[in-house]
Amino acid sequence: MIWLIYALFFVTLYFEVFMLLAFVTTKTDHDEPGGLENITFPRVTIIVPCFNEEATLSATMHSLLALNYPHEMLDIIIVNDGSKDGTLTVAKTFESDPRVRVFDKPNGGKHTAMNFALQHTNSEFIGCLDADSIVDPEALRAIIPVFADDRVAAVTPGILIKKPQTLIQHMQDAEYRLSVFNRFTLAALGSAFITPGPFSIYRTSIVRDMKGWRHGHSTEDLEMALCIQDAGYIIANAPTAVVYTGSPRTVHALFKQRVRWTYGFLRNSIDYHYMFGNKKYGNLSIIILPMALLSIFAAIIFFTRLIYLLIGQILHAFARWQIVGIQLHAPTFDLFYFNTSMLIVLVLIAIALVIGLIAVGTELVTGKRRVPFGTAFFVLLYSFIVPLWLATAVVRAAFKTGVRWR
Amino acid sequence: MTSPITQTRTPKSRTYLYALLITLFIFATAFYVSTYFNSQRIQDIRSTQDNISTDILSLETQFDLLQQRSCDSVTENTILPSELISLGNQLSYMEAQNSSTNKDEIIRLKRLYSLLQIKDYLLMKQLALKCNLKPVFIQYFYTNIGNCIDCEKQGYVLTKLAQTYPQLRIYTYDYNLDVSALKTLISINDVDNKLPALVIDDKVYYGFQSEADLINEIPQLATLEKATSTAATSTKK
Repeated sequence: MIWLIYALFFVTLYFEVFMLLAFVTTKTDHDEPGGLENITFPRVTIIVPCFNEEATLSATMHSLLALNYPHEMLDIIIVNDGSKDGTLTVAKTFESDPRVRVFDKPNGGKHTAMNFALQHTNSEFIGCLDADSIVDPEALRAIIPVFADDRVAAVTPGILIKKPQTLIQHMQDAEYRLSVFNRFTLAALGSAFITPGPFSIYRTSIVRDMKGWRHGHSTEDLEMALCIQDAGYIIANAPTAVVYTGSPRTVHALFKQRVRWTYGFLRNSIDYHYMFGNKKYGNLSIIILPMALLSIFAAIIFFTRLIYLLIGQILHAFARWQIVGIQLHAPTFDLFYFNTSMLIVLVLIAIALVIGLIAVGTELVTGKRRVPFGTAFFVLLYSFIVPLWLATAVVRAAFKTGVRWR
Repeated sequence: MTSPITQTRTPKSRTYLYALLITLFIFATAFYVSTYFNSQRIQDIRSTQDNISTDILSLETQFDLLQQRSCDSVTENTILPSELISLGNQLSYMEAQNSSTNKDEIIRLKRLYSLLQIKDYLLMKQLALKCNLKPVFIQYFYTNIGNCIDCEKQGYVLTKLAQTYPQLRIYTYDYNLDVSALKTLISINDVDNKLPALVIDDKVYYGFQSEADLINEIPQLATLEKATSTAATSTKK
């Protein structure tokens, strides 16, 4: 078992190093700003699909209307996807703005709302903003120049957590900054396989070529990205296009969201299995997709091993308690007993690397390297809950149970 | 704004190779660091063993001198049992680490530890006779072979007794260790391979003995001072 742990550790560490190297190479070779001087701003449609979003829609709309983008070139379509609350009423309060159109349709899921809007636009570019997210005023201006390259089908933004409050949200804050690094590097490797809901912008013609968004096992953003990759286009990333997204406040809500994401990845991996190991797709098929899949199982195996060791310790403590009762000891800090096994040293190195990558992600978005408050909790606690939703998603994906948004 | 799109999905073998070399380097570093700290621990144990050897030699010399003098300066605490217990704990910890690189070295240190314990035991017996001391001895034989659950349980009880009665002299021996002096000790006491086994006042007890059993078997325990505060120690199984 220990050799399996070491082997998996080697592979996951290799992947971390690989990503860091790819990032460094990209920054060294291509760290030059795209110009806004000669650009003509194309028409862009932003879809705001809504299902029971009365509490957050208003903030989302205000942020969109505050975008620093020519008014006549911005088209905002709110699609009320059969909400049962006051979402439609809130949406209609924005109709007075010439940039805003509101549609109401029976509930059919996010992808149907997006496709509905697709039918009602002739903009050159189309994007989505989940109704629990807000955008930075400069976000769209950071994204549009990236489309100067005709091969680019989609551009993803830099996503941060909107006003983290609970401990779970602070942990996600650190996680999202790590994701900023990952998304940037994956784009650099031509291997982005998700175009996240909050403010990913697409070339409309290509979305139409793809026949719009599909259900994609409740992860239409992942399915669309794989579809784009399959067609040979590029998914780029503009980390300075900052979006603040709403996040689950509780472990339960987070668990549900992540089971959906992981389930979607696993089921879509089956649908797009021919991309794995297929040289035609380059880095994506050689390392990125296989590692994304392997990391799920590695996390579950690491966690199982940890739980096994913990249960062993608890049973020992219990046996001891049964025999000699509770013994209170003054804590000792004898350096002799500090665990310095090779695995512990490797774990410490990996943690240092992760903290470094969070700092890099933070710098990409904010220009500063200071890691957020939740980093310590993310490093110490997150790995204890992640395997739980990974394992749940694996089981559900194996039995094709399907997953719900809420 | 940073635009990463100029890189394509075409793999660069150089990145893959460098990542492999760096990962190997990290693993090698982790191995080196871990080995370094383990060597330091071995050094610590050696140093403790040297100290105990010196203590024993000193006591032996003192004992020779005492043939002509009184026992005024000798007590049950002349060699601190805690030092031996601490050494035992360190060896137990190293053994539990299950490091294949240090296995032989740990066995070597365990053999020396057993010898030191036997020497301490013999010397204390002689001192007790000469100086009319009443130390309380428990010789404990355990095994690491197979799954000796009772050995583990016995370890818990002895650890607690050692903490409660700091003057109690508990000697722990790995029954299967290849040390001729240990084999002689086993033979003299007629200890069979039915472990755990305890030797108290030349009588052998087989199987798990609870704390209450031992307090009953050793009435002299009542004469020993109890610890005022407990230190965190453990007796190996």
